[in-house]
Amino acid sequence: MKLSRDGWAGLAVLAASLFLFALTLELKPSPLVPIGPGFYPRLVLGLTAVLAAALVAFDSFGKKAIKAEGKGNYAAVVLHFAVFGVYVVALPWLGFRIATLAYIAAANALLDFPTGLKGWARVGAVSLIATALVYVVFERYLSVLLPRGRWTGF
Amino acid sequence: MYPLLADGLVNIVQAKYLLPLVLGTLAGVVGGALPGVTITMTIIVVLPFTFGLDPLQGLAAMTGVYVGGSAGGLVTAVLLGLPGTPSAIATTFDGHTMAKKGEPGRALWIGVWASFFGGLLGGLFLIGATGPLAKFALQFGPWEFFSLFVLALSMVAGLVEASLLKGLVAGAMGLIVTVLGNDPVMGQERLTLGIPFLKGGIDFLPVLIGVFAFAQIMGEIERRGVHALSADVNRSVSLAVSHAKVIWEVLSRPFQLLWCSFVGVLIGVLPAIGGSAASMMAYDQAKKFSRRPEAFGTGTPEGIVASEASNNANVGGSLVTIMAFGIPGDAVTAVMLGALTIHGIQSGPLFISQNAQLAYGMFAAYLLAHPIMVLILALGARWMLRAVTVPKAALFPIVLVLCVIGAYALNNTMANVYVLLAFGVLGYLMVKFGFPLAPFILGVILGDQIEINLVRSIMTDADLWLFVTRPISGALLAASVLSLAAAIWQHRRMRKRAAANADF
Repeated sequence: MKLSRDGWAGLAVLAASLFLFALTLELKPSPLVPIGPGFYPRLVLGLTAVLAAALVAFDSFGKKAIKAEGKGNYAAVVLHFAVFGVYVVALPWLGFRIATLAYIAAANALLDFPTGLKGWARVGAVSLIATALVYVVFERYLSVLLPRGRWTGF
Repeated sequence: MYPLLADGLVNIVQAKYLLPLVLGTLAGVVGGALPGVTITMTIIVVLPFTFGLDPLQGLAAMTGVYVGGSAGGLVTAVLLGLPGTPSAIATTFDGHTMAKKGEPGRALWIGVWASFFGGLLGGLFLIGATGPLAKFALQFGPWEFFSLFVLALSMVAGLVEASLLKGLVAGAMGLIVTVLGNDPVMGQERLTLGIPFLKGGIDFLPVLIGVFAFAQIMGEIERRGVHALSADVNRSVSLAVSHAKVIWEVLSRPFQLLWCSFVGVLIGVLPAIGGSAASMMAYDQAKKFSRRPEAFGTGTPEGIVASEASNNANVGGSLVTIMAFGIPGDAVTAVMLGALTIHGIQSGPLFISQNAQLAYGMFAAYLLAHPIMVLILALGARWMLRAVTVPKAALFPIVLVLCVIGAYALNNTMANVYVLLAFGVLGYLMVKFGFPLAPFILGVILGDQIEINLVRSIMTDADLWLFVTRPISGALLAASVLSLAAAIWQHRRMRKRAAANADF
């Protein structure tokens, strides 16, 4: 019995729903309403577990659909998620202006690596103009407060 | 109704509303024209700009994006053969063929005017049907609302192209997101997993933004699609036409125009099916009803009219469900629902009676967005071809920064940005594992309402049979069972056909 991607996904959902279902057993019923805060989550998580188990079962015993799929550039995806993750972590420490400037430059360079001085100048200009424009529009004109940095103070 | 609509029109032509409407329509047309950007991503980008505006300004901008985006997709579909949005795929069949035969202007403008008239027909339905449907929904008790939301979720799960089981699992996963944090009835803390910011529950907008933006952008990055299309673009192409002639070409097919717009509206009313299905279905219908079905695909105006009239009429249908029932017809209206929530406005049956000025202002914005869209395309269709040469390597990081602002500015807290990232990863993985996003998002949006109405109905009367014995509730539940049965039948038939084809 070999599982395909559907089977593994079903197993992951099944495990998560059973784990959360177990946590709902700790919820105490409310004296004010006939059904407590655990009633609906148990219903949803139970249903999810049944559906996920069915997905695993169908994958194990049913016919598997063979999908021809080209190889994607997964390294670029992982790298871009990582850069975005660093940006999100850096935002409260460096503040919106510095973190965004660095993020746009890094992501732009990763997606289309610049060649020569002109290429790097383009990346720098795009990130600087985009950050400044976004900052001015949101902070000055739309009164949206953007994150300040704990380290930088702005 | 008409005095209120007239008031709405008078309101919306004021500069403070007209400007967001024009800018929103422009953003929609450009976003729609850019292959790989879609209307959903455009509206996600526009969302944070609406935070500082009043509700009608924000909704006018978003309505403009929706209308503009539905028409914008046809520019690149016709001129480059690359549909800017999925809803313009059917337009390429005849639009691009006609353009290749040396009539790019005619092909483009047949599409634009078909979008215009189709959109306005959708608008008639929107204005005429929202009020009566909302009145009908006012008869609903918690049993009926629960059953209505269950029907919406089961329809979406059943109508997705992937497996029905995966659609149902995705919908259930969306519901799980809403049980984390707190109980919406008593406010009691539950399933916070020791994470402090989960105590308040998870806002649906960062989830929606994360899931859709990352699934799309990371998908493009994975396919190495970040390079501009400059090599394919011929900017010297002439788009000059006689508009009177082109308008006559569209209006001389009244039955086709009406029928395809009707198909668009109908698909729009059904949750989460979207403009692409509407235009494909209308194209198919037009071909079946045509006296010359063999001409379809060879550059016939009928094909362009069918596709474009239906995908713009679809917008009107989608807006009906959100305004009358509070159920988003697609991802774009889900973002609009989020924008309403941010401004403290509850969509649903009471929306139109409690916020008449806003509702009729939105109708007026919808109607006015159509001539604005035509004007923008008249002035800038050629410029749109330059827009597609914008390097996506520069565009995507900026879009993601705007997504961060959209999530952060909801409560001025980083927690929503973490949610955005987490659900961005989940959204990408869901797409990779073949789970549809639409039922997941609908589950996230409707989860709280399903729970509230379920608990309310049980608190009112513990008899669970009432869900079945109350006529409207019973009919809605029967419809959801039927929709699941139909989906199972359709999936089995498709599998049998695929197996039969494989045998040959």
